[in-house]
Amino acid sequence: MIRPIALPVAVLSVASLLAMVMSVGIGSVAIAPADVLSVFLGEGSNLHRTLILDLRLPRTLAAFATGGLLAVAGALMQVLLRNPLADPYVLGLSGGAAVGALLAMLAGLGGAVISGSAFAGAMLATVMVFGLAHGTGSWTPSRLLLTGVVVAAGWGAVITLILAISPARELPGMLYWLMGDVSYARAPWHGLGLLVVVCALVVPLGRSLNVLARGPMQAAALGISVRPLEWLIYVLASLLTATAVTMAGSIGFVGLVVPHMLRLVLGNDQRLILPACALAGGTLLVLADTLARVVIAPEQLPVGVITALLGVPTFLYLLYRSR
Amino acid sequence: MRKLKAMTAMLSWMLLASPALASSVCATDDLAKEICLEHPAKRIAALSPGATELVWAAGAGDQVVAVVAYSDYPPAAREVASVGSHTRIDMERLLELQPDLVVGWVTGNPTEQLATLKNMDVPVFSIEPRSFEAVSHTIERISTLAGTEAEGFAEAERFRRGIADLQEVYARADPVPVFYQVWDEPLMTVNSQHLIGEMIELCGGDNVFGQLARLVPRISAEAVIAANPEAILAGGMGEENRHWLTRWQAFPGITATERNNLFFIPPSLVQRPTPRMLEGTQLFCEKLEVARGRRP
Repeated sequence: MIRPIALPVAVLSVASLLAMVMSVGIGSVAIAPADVLSVFLGEGSNLHRTLILDLRLPRTLAAFATGGLLAVAGALMQVLLRNPLADPYVLGLSGGAAVGALLAMLAGLGGAVISGSAFAGAMLATVMVFGLAHGTGSWTPSRLLLTGVVVAAGWGAVITLILAISPARELPGMLYWLMGDVSYARAPWHGLGLLVVVCALVVPLGRSLNVLARGPMQAAALGISVRPLEWLIYVLASLLTATAVTMAGSIGFVGLVVPHMLRLVLGNDQRLILPACALAGGTLLVLADTLARVVIAPEQLPVGVITALLGVPTFLYLLYRSR
Repeated sequence: MRKLKAMTAMLSWMLLASPALASSVCATDDLAKEICLEHPAKRIAALSPGATELVWAAGAGDQVVAVVAYSDYPPAAREVASVGSHTRIDMERLLELQPDLVVGWVTGNPTEQLATLKNMDVPVFSIEPRSFEAVSHTIERISTLAGTEAEGFAEAERFRRGIADLQEVYARADPVPVFYQVWDEPLMTVNSQHLIGEMIELCGGDNVFGQLARLVPRISAEAVIAANPEAILAGGMGEENRHWLTRWQAFPGITATERNNLFFIPPSLVQRPTPRMLEGTQLFCEKLEVARGRRP
């Protein structure tokens, strides 16, 4: 069982490493590969050191962490809800985070408060959707999904309201936040750390998750305590999404498309899909962010636009071919 | 008060210009942070079109190495390297140009990006001019940091005096109810706290939306009709486009429409807090004077 998992993971690891090397090597200022290398050997000019170590490297790592977190969160949600449409975006988590962040911006607060407020918003959305879907009876995946979709629509209305009443000078910042943007991301370490911890936590649960993906009844019949497992998945997915959103704003699409793409190619074994999602999601966002930085430099694009423009045709092609 | 300020400015200039302190220059920015440079700045980055104009006004145009999109005045600014837009700065390109002074915009530039610059020990002088006096004061402070006090203080004083002269001329002018249209869709105006609000007041105008709570309120066409301004002034997309004014011709019930007091003002003359506001204010006052002349 080791080999079929090891090969795709190895390939994706190499791909993500290459993407990161490319992201660090390419920017709106041209730096020769030899100079990039010398910076990592502790030499190089001051300017090159600043550009690479203070700007490109943290941004690349933040993009990788964000993409990985979103893809893993999406994959977990799809297992939990047994619905291919499930992703943090559809379930209103991103919406709640966006409302939190925009309210902080509306109040004129900066940096860390916006992140904290976005995190609080995402967690509030989580509790709300879960609580409401639970209602008086037990919850079913379709009920949870429907609740999530309706709550997301509600957040959408609140976002529009905030945009409408905000001072004009706050609008560019708000719109870029909503479109998703890695350029403001600061320390990537907590995101990367969380990604590693969650992967280490869920991969051993892969077998249970595989059974759960077939339905709670079968899982229960096979001796898996379904309810605690479902709670764990939901809390983890929310935590991953909230962390990703606080790092780079609301980047849609990664959580939905990356897990599906991988399933189309690799099959639906969660022990493989979850680590593969972390690597592929991170790679996609690193590549997208590199493009966002250089396509029309010195003007910068929001990374969310690029992920959608790259991912949609790829996804449609894979889907079309798989029929 | 104004004279006192001018005097203290002159005094600090004389102190700074004295040989003992000539090597290092200091100024306090609009975040109340004191910025000190060992030597007057030689490579300045201006991170908003307004900042670019102010740096040129301060006599330091030759020292500008980086601007952002839409920095179109003075024409020489178009030749300078661009480092993105004021809402999203291409940090790599900015750092590559190795600025020794960055003039940032408090509410226009992303706080995170300015913080990153400060962390890298790039001096950031953050500005947010909200009044006529602040325009002059900003020019003076930039000229201090750029080592061009002679030109900067002269230009600041020219602007200050020009505004004071206009103020004197229109101090006793008959009030004209005015609606200033900042944007067309959605319809936006300014309240009395805004710099344009100050302009309206100086010209003897009475801003019909001056009392609204928000700095740049969004309003309805109905509210404009109900307020019945005697003059409507608007900018537009670009410097020649009078299109925004035509919508009001459909409402002959408004006094401004009835008397044909629909005036176009080039937006860059009034919407950027720079010395060109003097020209804009003059134009603004003249239009209101025309409106007074059309009274029955």
